Amino acid sequence: MTGVSLGGVGVITGWGYGVGAWPDDARRAAGDRAVVTAATPRLDGERFRRATRECLLGVAAVQASLEDAGITREVVAGTRTALLYVTAAAYGSSNRAFVEAGEPGSAGALHFPYTAPCAVPAEVTIEYGLRGTYVTLIGGAAVTLEALAWAGRLLAEGACERVLVLAVETFAECADLFARDRRLLQRPLTEAAACALLVAGNRRIDVGAAGQVSDLTARAARRVGETLACGPLLALALGRATGKDPWTVTGRWRGRTTALVEA
Amino acid sequence: MPGVFRLRPEPVAIVAAGVVTPIGSDLDAFWTGLLTGANGISTIERFPVSDLRVQRGGEIKKLTSSDEGGRRDRASGLLCAAADDLRARSSLAADRARIGVVVGTALGGVESLEDAITDERSLRTAAAAFYDSPAHALASHLDVHGPVLTVSTACASGASALGLAADLLRAGRADLIVAGGYDGLCRFVMRGFDALRSLTRERIRPFDRRRNGLLLGEGAALVLMARDRDVTGPRLGRLLGHASTSDATHVAAPDPTGRGLEHAVELALGQAGLDAGAVEFVSAHGTGTPLNDRIETAVLRRVLGRRANGVPVNSIKGGLGHTMGAAATLEAIMCLLATRHGAIPHTLGFENGDADCDLDYVPLRPRVTRPRVSLSTSLGFGGCNAALILEGMVA
Repeated sequence: MTGVSLGGVGVITGWGYGVGAWPDDARRAAGDRAVVTAATPRLDGERFRRATRECLLGVAAVQASLEDAGITREVVAGTRTALLYVTAAAYGSSNRAFVEAGEPGSAGALHFPYTAPCAVPAEVTIEYGLRGTYVTLIGGAAVTLEALAWAGRLLAEGACERVLVLAVETFAECADLFARDRRLLQRPLTEAAACALLVAGNRRIDVGAAGQVSDLTARAARRVGETLACGPLLALALGRATGKDPWTVTGRWRGRTTALVEA
Repeated sequence: MPGVFRLRPEPVAIVAAGVVTPIGSDLDAFWTGLLTGANGISTIERFPVSDLRVQRGGEIKKLTSSDEGGRRDRASGLLCAAADDLRARSSLAADRARIGVVVGTALGGVESLEDAITDERSLRTAAAAFYDSPAHALASHLDVHGPVLTVSTACASGASALGLAADLLRAGRADLIVAGGYDGLCRFVMRGFDALRSLTRERIRPFDRRRNGLLLGEGAALVLMARDRDVTGPRLGRLLGHASTSDATHVAAPDPTGRGLEHAVELALGQAGLDAGAVEFVSAHGTGTPLNDRIETAVLRRVLGRRANGVPVNSIKGGLGHTMGAAATLEAIMCLLATRHGAIPHTLGFENGDADCDLDYVPLRPRVTRPRVSLSTSLGFGGCNAALILEGMVA
C-alpha cells in the first residue's frame, strides 16, 4: 500500500470534547464572544504542572485520537511513529506572558523554552515516547493540508508506520491582537486541538489549489468557528462521524485555498 | 528498522546560495570570513541590553537589502537580504506559480509580536506577529506564488526546511524552491537565553576544554533547490538525505544519551543510501556549551565507529554566534563550499579538547582537503534533532 488510511481522529474545541459537542451554528452559539475558549485538560503528572495550556490541549488531543483508533500509547511509542505539528497562533499566549513579564529575571528559565512553538509537540513526544520524524509547521489550514500530504509521503516511502498530524490553536491570551486584524480571521475564534492518526492504506493524497471551500470543511467551520490550523482535522473528524468521505477537505490561509487531491 | 527506507528518494540539487551573516553580507564574504577566522561578535547596539548579564552577540550592523522605505521588520529584512544575494548568483527560471518558499526559524515574527503587544495602535505589527509572516514577505519580495511554508524545529529549523523542500520537489509540488533559515537577534531571545544562563561572558569555544556557553547571532541563509534531473547547468551540490527526529526526553535540554540525534543521522544516511563510511566531513552543531558538545562527540563516535578520529569535524559558531534558525542552512552551505574550494574552515575558538571532546575538530587553521560527502548535524529546543547528508561538487 502506498497511500494512507485514517486510523482515528481526536478533537477538542471550545465547545467540548468530540464532534458531538459542536453546536449547529457557532456564530449564533458564541453570541457576542469573539473567542470561545477551550477548557484546560486536567492531566496527571508532575511534569504537567509547568506545561502551558496549549501543551495540555495537544497531549489530550493525541490521547483522544488514540482512543478513537482503539490503540494504546504503547503502540505509538518509539521511532516508527512520526509527529507533524501545525499551528498558526498557539505560541502567542506563552510568548505574550514572557514579553509582559518585563525585566530580566522576572521571567525565568522555566518559562522561556515554552515560548517556542515546538514546546507543544515536545510535551507530546515526551508523554507518548515518540522518537520518529518530528517537525513543526507554522501556518493555518492550508499548511495542515501540507502536513497531511507529507504524512502520506512518509508512509509511502516507509520512513514510519504511522503519523500523528496534530494542530493546536489558542486565542484567549492574544484576543486583542487578533481583533486588530480581521482580514485574516473569521469570528468566532474557537480554540481547538485536533489530532489525526494516519496509517498506510489505499488513499493516495496530495495538495492542490482549490477554487472553493469543500462542503465538509464549510459545515465543520459553520459548526465550530474559525480554528485556523485545526480546521482540516475537524473536517476529517466530521466526515468520519457522519459517514461522509473524510478526505474532501480544503484549507484557507493568507488568501489561498487548497484542497487534498488524489496523488 | 532505523535508517531503512522502502524507497530511496531521488537526490535534490542545490543550485546556488545566498547569505547575510555577522561575518559577511554575502556568500563570498561569508566564505572568506570563515577561512580567515573573522569574528562577528560585538556589543549589541540595535536594542537595549544594558540590563542583561551578557550584552554581546553576532549582530549584523548594516543590512544592505533594499528595505522598502524601512517598512520591513528585522526578520523579513534578513531574509530579503539573503534572497538578493541568491538572486545575484542564480535566476529563478521557472513559472512563478511553480516556485516555492520553505524557511526555518526559531523565532519567526516574534519581534513584531513584541511590538504589537507593547504598541496597541499598530495594525501592521499585529498582522506581522504571526510566526510565518517573514516567509510570506520573502515570497512577495521574490514575486513567487508556489507553496510558502515555515518550519520551526527551534535551532534545527534550517536543516528541517531543506529536508521539507526536497520532499516537496520530489512530490512535484514545485519546480524550484528557495529554502533556508533565518532569525534576527532581538531583546526577546536575549532575555530568554540570559534567563537560561546559557550565554558565555567569554569567547565561544566549541569543543574546547574551556567551553562554557554560547553567544547568539543573527542571519539568513537561502539555497535554490531543484530536482537533480531538471538541472542542466552548474550546481553547488546535492542533498542526498535528511531527517528530523525527536528526543522525547525534555522540553529544553538535549537527551544526554544523544539517541535522538543518532537516529536522525541513521535515517538521513538510509535515505541517501549510504553508510557512515561514506562521510568524509562533519559540520557539527557545536554550540560551545558543555553538554551539547559532549553529546555530539559521543554520537559521532558511535556513528563513525573506528573512523571517528580520522574524520574532520568543525563548528562555525565561534565566529558567527549561534544564528538559531539560520545556523543549519549556513552550515550546509559551508559543507558545499568546502568541496567547491577544497578547504574546511577551522573551528574558531577551539584549541584543546578534553576527555569528552576528543575528535579532530580542525583547530587553528583551515584544512586543505576536498570532502565529497558531508554530514551536518543540528539540535534544538523541544528535543529537535536534524541531520543532512550533502554531496559537494567542484563545478
